[in-house]
Amino acid sequence: MENRTLLEIKNLVTEFRSDGEVTKAVNNVSFTLNKGETIGIVGESGSGKSVTSLSAMRLIPNPPGEITGGEILFHGKDGVIDLVKATEKQMRSLRGNEIAMIFQEPMTSLNPVYTCGDQVAEAIMLHQKVNKKEAKKITIELFKKVELPRPDVMFDTYPHQISGGQKQRVMIAMAMSCNPSILIADEPTTALDVTVQKTILELMMQLQQEQDMGIMFITHDLGVIAELADKVVVMYKGKIVEQGTVMDIFTNPQHPYTKGLLACRPPLNRRLHWLPTVSDFMSVDDKGEMKEKNKSVEEVTENLVISPEETAKKHEKIYAQEPILEIKNLKTYFPISKGIFGRAKEYVKAVNDVSFKVYPGETLGLVGESGCGKTTLGRTILKLVEPTAGNIIFEGKDITNLSVKEMREYRKEMQIIFQDPYSSLNPRITIGEAIMEPMRVHNVFNSDAERKERVMELLKRVDLPEHHFYRYPHEFSGGQRQRICIARSLALNPKFIICDESVSALDVSVQAQVLNLLNELKEEFKFTYIFISHDLSVVKFMSDKMIVMQEGVVKEMGYADEIYNNPKTDYTKSLINAIPKGEIDDIKKSLDKKVARRSTTV
Amino acid sequence: MSQFITKRILYGLLVLAGVITIVFLLFNVLPGDPARMLMGQRADEESLRVIQKDLGLDQTLSTQFVMYLNDLSPISVHSTEEEHYLYLDENKYSYSTLFSFGDNNVLVVKTPYLRRSYQTKRQVSEILLDYLPETAVLATAAILFASFFGVLFGIITSLMKDTWVDKSLLFLSVLGMSIPSFYSAIIISWLIGFALPQATGINLFNMTGSLFEYDDLGNGEILKLSNLVLPAFTLGIRPISAILQLTRSSMLDVMSQDYIRTARAKGLSKMVVVIKHALKNALNPVVTAVSGMFASLLAGALFVEMIFAWKGLGWVLYDALTKYDLPIVMGGVLLTSTIFVIVNIVVDIIYGILDPRVRVS
Repeated sequence: MENRTLLEIKNLVTEFRSDGEVTKAVNNVSFTLNKGETIGIVGESGSGKSVTSLSAMRLIPNPPGEITGGEILFHGKDGVIDLVKATEKQMRSLRGNEIAMIFQEPMTSLNPVYTCGDQVAEAIMLHQKVNKKEAKKITIELFKKVELPRPDVMFDTYPHQISGGQKQRVMIAMAMSCNPSILIADEPTTALDVTVQKTILELMMQLQQEQDMGIMFITHDLGVIAELADKVVVMYKGKIVEQGTVMDIFTNPQHPYTKGLLACRPPLNRRLHWLPTVSDFMSVDDKGEMKEKNKSVEEVTENLVISPEETAKKHEKIYAQEPILEIKNLKTYFPISKGIFGRAKEYVKAVNDVSFKVYPGETLGLVGESGCGKTTLGRTILKLVEPTAGNIIFEGKDITNLSVKEMREYRKEMQIIFQDPYSSLNPRITIGEAIMEPMRVHNVFNSDAERKERVMELLKRVDLPEHHFYRYPHEFSGGQRQRICIARSLALNPKFIICDESVSALDVSVQAQVLNLLNELKEEFKFTYIFISHDLSVVKFMSDKMIVMQEGVVKEMGYADEIYNNPKTDYTKSLINAIPKGEIDDIKKSLDKKVARRSTTV
Repeated sequence: MSQFITKRILYGLLVLAGVITIVFLLFNVLPGDPARMLMGQRADEESLRVIQKDLGLDQTLSTQFVMYLNDLSPISVHSTEEEHYLYLDENKYSYSTLFSFGDNNVLVVKTPYLRRSYQTKRQVSEILLDYLPETAVLATAAILFASFFGVLFGIITSLMKDTWVDKSLLFLSVLGMSIPSFYSAIIISWLIGFALPQATGINLFNMTGSLFEYDDLGNGEILKLSNLVLPAFTLGIRPISAILQLTRSSMLDVMSQDYIRTARAKGLSKMVVVIKHALKNALNPVVTAVSGMFASLLAGALFVEMIFAWKGLGWVLYDALTKYDLPIVMGGVLLTSTIFVIVNIVVDIIYGILDPRVRVS
């Protein structure tokens, strides 16, 4: 049998230096990638999974980063090269040619000032030594292959003119342009909707078979790679804690961290009080030593299940009350083209005739793909966007036509937690000040001393130490920042909170913690939530009732479990279908398929 | 695109209308009677009234404003009656008649009439046009020099961040920004033009303050570019420093973007990544700054023009201000704002070329 080894990483160490401190971002990592194989590298942010892949490309920013040990052996057409020792010129001829990469953020990974076609053709001209015309032809062929609509038009399109999914297809076309033997995909679908994620994953699988490529798939979500990967490498704090075949990892996880990752995805088949997190399986003490709790995934989740009867009882209580918020025929239109005197000629109907009620203590889920109008709806309810028509009735009072000044009274009662914890905190204001600010604006408490005391309480409530009051946002991780945002929205003691994709930017393990926190706070302070997300599994876990939206219109509305178990529209079905479930049966099926395919090709 | 440009031009005209109104009102509330300043020392009441009538000073302020607007507008209404305040005077206007209407009224197309200097009685537009090219050449030379080296050094410092090259260039640029131009002008002219004329080949005493030198035998003008070197260099010091720092910070920002990593992952060389992928993205803020600087240099770089005796707009405006020659000052202000408006429209178009995201469909 031929040698199918593509890439051998042996004892790789990559260090980062800052202010005299050395951190080992990748610490003694070894694994092997074969032809036609997919390795899933799983771990939370900061676990060193991206650094591993960038090391293989030798794209670690230096300074501060440096590969300080180990070997990366690439088995190419002309023998074996150690990429750690390769010259920059050798690396340049491999990058994009033999080893290609797809990045996490399709929005920012394409150069905004060149057309999509030019950017792909550039790589082709560089490595295949063909002229411009030929390169254009190849590019358009590639665009067809990655199923981009109207490939020849797409060639001259700029990145900002197409959607995120299409951009990722362009990135894939670019990566595939020179038939690489290795494709490194660094969280290629994390920034995309679940439905788009599904199509992108399918495309990658299909291309892999055609070219017998080895794929290194980096992700924070075990679910995503369940049906994709052959082998899984689990990384934690720069080290590999577990590696094995995908079946082994899913059926018999050994390391507590792997168990945590498996358990923290919101389950679809039952309702839980809260989500298990990594800390249910292990604890880390002050010295960074890990302690295992020796529990299996099943043991932990079993105790958390809520029976349908309990749920029904709870719902009965909630829906017997007067609604806290009533939305009647709400419409929000945005003008897209304006006449010469600024009068709008055409509109985007972002929210088109939506009506529903929200009851005190309820969590109402709002789900749909990006562009379906769910975010606009949330902002319109808070009157951050002016509604075009319809009524918003909050606690029996119509607030649709209140002036900005009158509305201030209600802003205290209604808060929002935004999607991106990175950009929704001002980098120049300490987090203590940031949480204090809404209290100042609304004259809650008489002095800053009292307000500060309250901020300390809030910080404690969201599990952040009090001394963080004086720190700036850049010192915190994504999950911590989202906690800060939650604390900020709690500052005014609101009754009603809109969570707009509040956990979408977070790793699954962190997502579980934040979701649990939101639920705890709800119990404690008797909040009412509208929970907006593109991920149906998260919405289902959080909400009592659920609204499915598409193109500004309500497609389906009802109890969350009922919609999931018994979807009425094709749209809802496609949303449910697209959720990466990570169920053993599905993994088996896809593995069987792979085996069947291989036996036919070999 | 054409709709976009039309919009920008209409907007520019609106700005100009505002400037005209403010300029007119400002200079009309200033104390002093222009007619008296125009008068000879021995003039009497009668000639004062004649001058006042000639300048339209006997009319109400609003009528005067209408007259002023009518004078400035390229298409204007006039009367053929000599007594009328809108009389079509051949001494004032160079025009061609479109058509007549009413009894004595005509609609004409003309070059905007900026009135005459109180001092020399020459047409203001003639005076300004005499001096504008000198300033334009100086400003263009200065800004080209500053943009080229500013961007070049900006790229170099951003790529060599935190090395001694970066630090010393940054230090020089801070120095360049903080030294006032009248000071650097004197130092530079002394150093290069006076102390070291042999080494530099530029002699301060041979400089004429113009691009041209007159042949001693009277055989006309000789182009002498070396006259331009010192003033253009001096004028460019501040812009070069600002452009350097802007390019540096903008490049540093762009180089950390994801699409730069993508470009590197394609296997492109560092040079191509920097020049092709990074620079085009980094230039937008630089273009904004350069255009602003260029427009203000065109408005006259007073100190530099004074010290090098460069006969440009700054020189003329300074002269007119000290002599209370209002028409020249007003004309100068209007010319300057027109240049600003035009430069801004051009810059908007450049933005579109650099960055497709601001292009309008």
